Amino acid sequence: MSHLPRIMFVDDEERILRSLAVQFRRQYEVLTESDPHRALQRLEDQPVHILISDQRMPHMSGAELLAQARELAPNTLRILLTGYSDLDAAVDALNNGGIFRYLTKPWDPQEMAFTLRQAAEIALRQPAASTPVELASISAMSARLNVLLLDNDAETLALVDAFCQQGGHRLLRVRNIAEAMHILNSEPVELLVSDLKLAGDDTAPLLKTLAQAHPRLLSIVVTPFCDTQALLKLINEAQIFRYLPKPIRRGMFEKGLGAAVEQAIIWRAEPETAVMRLAQVPTNEPERERVGSLFGMLGRLRERLSA
Amino acid sequence: MPTASALTQLLKAVEPLAPDMSIADVADRLLTPQHKAFLSLPIVDSAGKPLGLVSRTALQDIFMQRFGRDLRGRHPVTEIMNAQPLVVSLATSLEEAARQITGQLQYPITEDFVLVDQAGHYQGLGTVLDLLKAMESRIAQRNTVLRKALHDLKESQAQLIQSEKMASLGQMVAGVAHELNTPLGYVKNNVQLMNELGAALFELTDAQARLADCMANPDTTEEQLADAFALAAQAREAAAPELLSADMQQLFADTMYGLEQIAELVVGLKDFARLDRAMSEEVDINDCIRSALLIARNNTKDKAEISLHLGQLPLIACAPSQINQVLLNLLNNAVHAIEGFGQVVIKSWADEDAVFISLQDSGKGMEAHVVARIFDPFFTTKPVGQGTGLGLSICFKIVQDHGGLIRVASEPGRGTRFLIRLPRPQAAQLQRSA
Repeated sequence: MSHLPRIMFVDDEERILRSLAVQFRRQYEVLTESDPHRALQRLEDQPVHILISDQRMPHMSGAELLAQARELAPNTLRILLTGYSDLDAAVDALNNGGIFRYLTKPWDPQEMAFTLRQAAEIALRQPAASTPVELASISAMSARLNVLLLDNDAETLALVDAFCQQGGHRLLRVRNIAEAMHILNSEPVELLVSDLKLAGDDTAPLLKTLAQAHPRLLSIVVTPFCDTQALLKLINEAQIFRYLPKPIRRGMFEKGLGAAVEQAIIWRAEPETAVMRLAQVPTNEPERERVGSLFGMLGRLRERLSA
Repeated sequence: MPTASALTQLLKAVEPLAPDMSIADVADRLLTPQHKAFLSLPIVDSAGKPLGLVSRTALQDIFMQRFGRDLRGRHPVTEIMNAQPLVVSLATSLEEAARQITGQLQYPITEDFVLVDQAGHYQGLGTVLDLLKAMESRIAQRNTVLRKALHDLKESQAQLIQSEKMASLGQMVAGVAHELNTPLGYVKNNVQLMNELGAALFELTDAQARLADCMANPDTTEEQLADAFALAAQAREAAAPELLSADMQQLFADTMYGLEQIAELVVGLKDFARLDRAMSEEVDINDCIRSALLIARNNTKDKAEISLHLGQLPLIACAPSQINQVLLNLLNNAVHAIEGFGQVVIKSWADEDAVFISLQDSGKGMEAHVVARIFDPFFTTKPVGQGTGLGLSICFKIVQDHGGLIRVASEPGRGTRFLIRLPRPQAAQLQRSA
């Protein structure tokens, strides 16, 4: 058996598969599949470290494939590779498929290689046989989480507040980014609910900073904006957990919060290395600088978390 | 209130006659210049209530009789008055007053009408001629307003059609741009790969050339030769030419194929727009169908299997870019109607008079009340903000402009079928000459 990390590419265009296979066969054990159903079957038969799928395929979309793959093999890192900027597909792939990256066609060969290297590193850290943490043993532990809200919207507040009261979580509210930084430097925070705008400021740099400083922190973005490019960056650079459109749909929001709490509790029980997240450094230069400076301000937070 | 003042403007103050005034006195009164404009004079009681109108014709009837004045001149005027005159309240609107007056007026017009206040007290007289003039100017005013409204409406309709066109054009361009990304993806990657793989090959030829030089040179030491051999073997292993050859061939073939795909899409886009050729050329409708399919592929490929049954078609005169627009619209609607993965069947055929296109989907179908309104402008089943509701009405208009017909049949749960009939040129000429 090969010791190389195993990657499966799924695309209905054989030429894409051939091209990727030639590119990566030296560093990885490459599997290719043009039919999503067969891909799922193979995934059941043999463990795969990274699954990369096209979005638009006959009979099954990439988002759907990744969502099903998540059930079958939760430890496989999932990546969407698509030529279409389609917001619904991206939201679906994130919220249901829990994707690690959203990549676009045509891809840059170096960037793709770098992303796969990162993904393989994380995947190889996972225990070979996944033993899902028993939820029963979790409930024995304290399930009380600190939830930070970065949204001045009354509706979001009401929903998050109700959720926290019901689950016994502590809700922390801030009016602006400065207050958020203060809280993050003085309290442990497990869950973040944030709009993309807070008191006129862009919250994306903070989300991206937190993804680097604290991979275990889960962020749920609620926003009235629908910009596929922005979402793509939030997935890749902020590793957000959910992206929910405003006006908020209550059922979806509560489901997202519930899933985040569950994930946060599971991660709390596991070592840092088991956390399957790694944010990409922002590609945009001014944003990278902003993230760098915020990262510095969050120094104390990091120290405490690693302690 | 403008309507009240409209009647007030018609009001003419006329001193009313007392009921006991004699016919002869009334006749004298009527002859005075200030009453010249009136056909009749009002009789009002002491409480101010109008009792009736006495008309010039009624007086003439008496005076034209022999001894009429002598016989009846002293009788009170109430004897010959019309006791049911037209009485209109000043509060009545101009239109309502006109309706009342024209409804009760008798020919020839012999009287004016009495204007009263809301309590029914006499205020003055109005003449029918003034009323007609007022109505005429009112109608002229309305016409101006209506003409402006019509103009505005036409302008905003043209704007809407334009924005619908831009929206579908934008959708189409975005779709094709995305469609290009797949071949671009592997072509770009392949070129990069071939460059890398090629570099290893060049290193190999380089190492082998050096080895050949060493062997050809009599001064070469054993050691140098061994080095050159080792380097050549190493380069050979790195390049692995026996494996590479098949890979390179495949990558080249794929790259060529991808470039052809890209070229096909670009040509398709150009054919689809056909801006260089507007109207009335000899067009094979099957080409339009293929062109629309190519452009719509990004929307259709993950939604439906498309089966084509294209018959031999005669060339017909049409605006191909417009027919393409109709076909693209119908295709996009068809795949939108499909939940999950379905089927679209496109057929074309011709008879002696016309060319036919049928487009049938296995989508969710429509209820009869939706089908009935489907070609209406602004009718849409999509949520607000998604779709102008103009797509099919524009299709209808385009087909109509071509002298053709578009029909729809639909059944909920089974799908929808559109049928287009476009007349053949000779048939159209016959129609014209008939």
